[in-house]
Amino acid sequence: MNRKISRRAVLGGALTALLPAPAEFGANASLRIAHRVFPDLEEMDGNWAALLAASDGKVYAGLANHGGGGHLVWYDSKTDAMHDAGNLTELCGESALRRGPQSKIHAKFGEGKDGRIYFGTHGGLWWNYSRFATKEGYPGAHWMAFDPKTRRVEDFGLGVPNEGINTGAYDPLFHRIYGLTHPRGHLVYYDVAARKSVDVGRINNWESICRTLGIDDEGNVYGSFGAGQIFRYDPKSDTIRELEARVPIQLKGISLGRDYDKSETAWRTVVWDRQTRKFYGVDESATILFSFDPHAGHDGEIRRLGQLCIPGFEDRRDVPYATLSLTLGRDRKLYYGAAAKEFDYEGSAGAEASHLITYDLETGKKQDLGEMLLEDGCRVLGTNAADTGPDGTIYLVGAIEVRTRAGEPVRAAGKVAGVPYRLALLMYRPH
Amino acid sequence: MGCATILAQRTLDYDHSVVSQVRIDLRDLGYPPVDLIPPDESAIRSLAVAPNGAVYGATSGHRSHLFVLYPQHGFVQPLGYLKDVTTVHRSLVVAGNGDVYIGGSIGVDNDGQGYGGYSGGHLLRYTPGANDEEKPIRVNAECPVQDLGIPVRGDGIYTLAIDGARQVIYGLTYPTARFFSYSIADGKFAVYGAVAEHRIPGEKFEKDRNIGRALAVDAEGRVYGSGGDGSLFRFNPVTRVIEKLPLAAATVPGREPYNRVDCWTSSTDGVLYGGTSDGYLFRFNTKSETLENLGKPLNQYRIRGLAFAHNGKLYGVGGNDGEMARLFSYDAARGVYEMLGMVDVNHRPYYSWQAYVIDAVAMGNDGTLYLGQSERKSKLYLYYPE
Repeated sequence: MNRKISRRAVLGGALTALLPAPAEFGANASLRIAHRVFPDLEEMDGNWAALLAASDGKVYAGLANHGGGGHLVWYDSKTDAMHDAGNLTELCGESALRRGPQSKIHAKFGEGKDGRIYFGTHGGLWWNYSRFATKEGYPGAHWMAFDPKTRRVEDFGLGVPNEGINTGAYDPLFHRIYGLTHPRGHLVYYDVAARKSVDVGRINNWESICRTLGIDDEGNVYGSFGAGQIFRYDPKSDTIRELEARVPIQLKGISLGRDYDKSETAWRTVVWDRQTRKFYGVDESATILFSFDPHAGHDGEIRRLGQLCIPGFEDRRDVPYATLSLTLGRDRKLYYGAAAKEFDYEGSAGAEASHLITYDLETGKKQDLGEMLLEDGCRVLGTNAADTGPDGTIYLVGAIEVRTRAGEPVRAAGKVAGVPYRLALLMYRPH
Repeated sequence: MGCATILAQRTLDYDHSVVSQVRIDLRDLGYPPVDLIPPDESAIRSLAVAPNGAVYGATSGHRSHLFVLYPQHGFVQPLGYLKDVTTVHRSLVVAGNGDVYIGGSIGVDNDGQGYGGYSGGHLLRYTPGANDEEKPIRVNAECPVQDLGIPVRGDGIYTLAIDGARQVIYGLTYPTARFFSYSIADGKFAVYGAVAEHRIPGEKFEKDRNIGRALAVDAEGRVYGSGGDGSLFRFNPVTRVIEKLPLAAATVPGREPYNRVDCWTSSTDGVLYGGTSDGYLFRFNTKSETLENLGKPLNQYRIRGLAFAHNGKLYGVGGNDGEMARLFSYDAARGVYEMLGMVDVNHRPYYSWQAYVIDAVAMGNDGTLYLGQSERKSKLYLYYPE
């Protein structure tokens, strides 16, 4: 099903144009951000990494729904219209199964040379694995592609029995969708041309699955494990090698919050820079910014560049766990959605407005553009996905505050530390 | 929706699903970060305990490695890789003099992939040296073994058992399910025929025969296992004949052709206990040749290994390759199971690792239960029964 949502519904009465740059509002205080909600999908309760601003101006997002079917949606930036490709469980043909639903797309999309958008699905609830591999449990992730020309989804079938695609990336060179599975932490891929699903084997422990795979311009796939270690999967030789290079991390037990209880500390997210042929990323424990040159020497080279947390958090133990909202803008700046309190939707540590932080790759200068607020002053409580459009627009997906009005139903997915929230697509246009 | 169910992060309630955290520990397979049996070579599929208490293990993957753990020292010491061996599946036995026998292959339970043109799996012998404990770890050095030959041309060695008193090793091969013996004294093989003649009744792509994954030797030297149709067989060392018994490995009626004995162990009074691929535990009295189905401890396939502890309870691990391994115990005196939980070690901030697949179990002389993880990145787990 493809459903176009009416323009009026999308905008909800808000401004139609992207709002002016931050200078008019006081750069050190707050940043007004334009947004578009996902109408009739207020039940969708999370988004992690599943955001792609494609080359044709369409922006794809995967919306999660714990306990129910997630949705694939796309925003047409040229017509300012939001579309719903449908319920993932229905798209997988599993509605009648009465098993664990296809609750999420939890991984990055990829755009193929054929213009199709490739991804894998994921489950939502795991109950400490008491239903894992049982008849009523989650049946497993599907590999899929969305064709923007036909607006249809192709289901390549169940590729990973019982497990979801927790982390994903698409490689247009080898035409493969890669993933790290949950809960068993296996590196897997789907070879689209060969129509073959492959399990390469275990990488992480279940509670420390690396959340981002990076792919270089030669098709090598990188991920993180252990204590800031990096692996490289070479598709030409079908081998995994653990590199000597180490991601700069905080010693385990110092950062509070989510990293404290994890068994491994890894990079949280990386983005590929075509110009310098390097990755830029942040670690999960203290949002340490680093560059990773995979082609330098035998094992690559990592340089620490600073920290992308909100200024003031750098040496604090309660530095919020890093988000997945990192993207490289066309202005050669990294854009990062930094949480003010550790953010994970209903699992968040508090409800405060997130900040948009930039890092200029040319000058090495970090800038806090301020708290992200919507046009009406509602807070952006947190984000976990970011991408850059072909026109330079910075897109994020995250939770926005929902203000209750007397006599009106609350159209919210849940609460962040007692504050109702729903998902939204956020848009910022740099100068 | 509770936080634990959403977040895929570890919370305290997860500890109610895993074994008691003061009863379990793990060891890396070597000395990190460099002198480790590497990923893709570390799946432990065989464990055996020597008379002196040393615990030997063999891994599978791109290469197989032999390792030892001396309980007095407490760490795993890799002994080198086994040349031209990628799989050691339930094929590690130790003789009374401490010699370690290893059966190699190039893969098992894979519809015979790679076996076209394969010369055959070798039986190898590793003789521990007097100063083995002091040897430095050289993961990339070849393990010094003596090649005793190939029992069945073209086949790999699938499983081994040893009659320590009579100095005879017995085995089954893959993929043609031949039963063989090796006389340690004479250095000679003898092959007695196939225990499964046909592939299982299945889909076109299912080419494997139903070969029991373990052999048991009773006090009289008779050897037991399972073969085609899930039937038990007995080998008589006096008549040197394999006989099919009118008994099948425990399962639901109709599933016998798909079910096999996964593992055996013996109680102190010589009664055999077995676990099946369908996940059933059974008791087999070799004197009366009666079999009792003791039920299915887990809502999962496979019982990967069984061992009696010093407290008299029988411990086992179940779970198929795509599931999550769980430990259980069985009190034979009372006929009662206890579900102990998933095999997980959480010693944060130092280390934490859960084993989803266990494929080897052995009871140490001091009562420590050793569990061999069988995944791309594997550890040796130590469980301390109450």
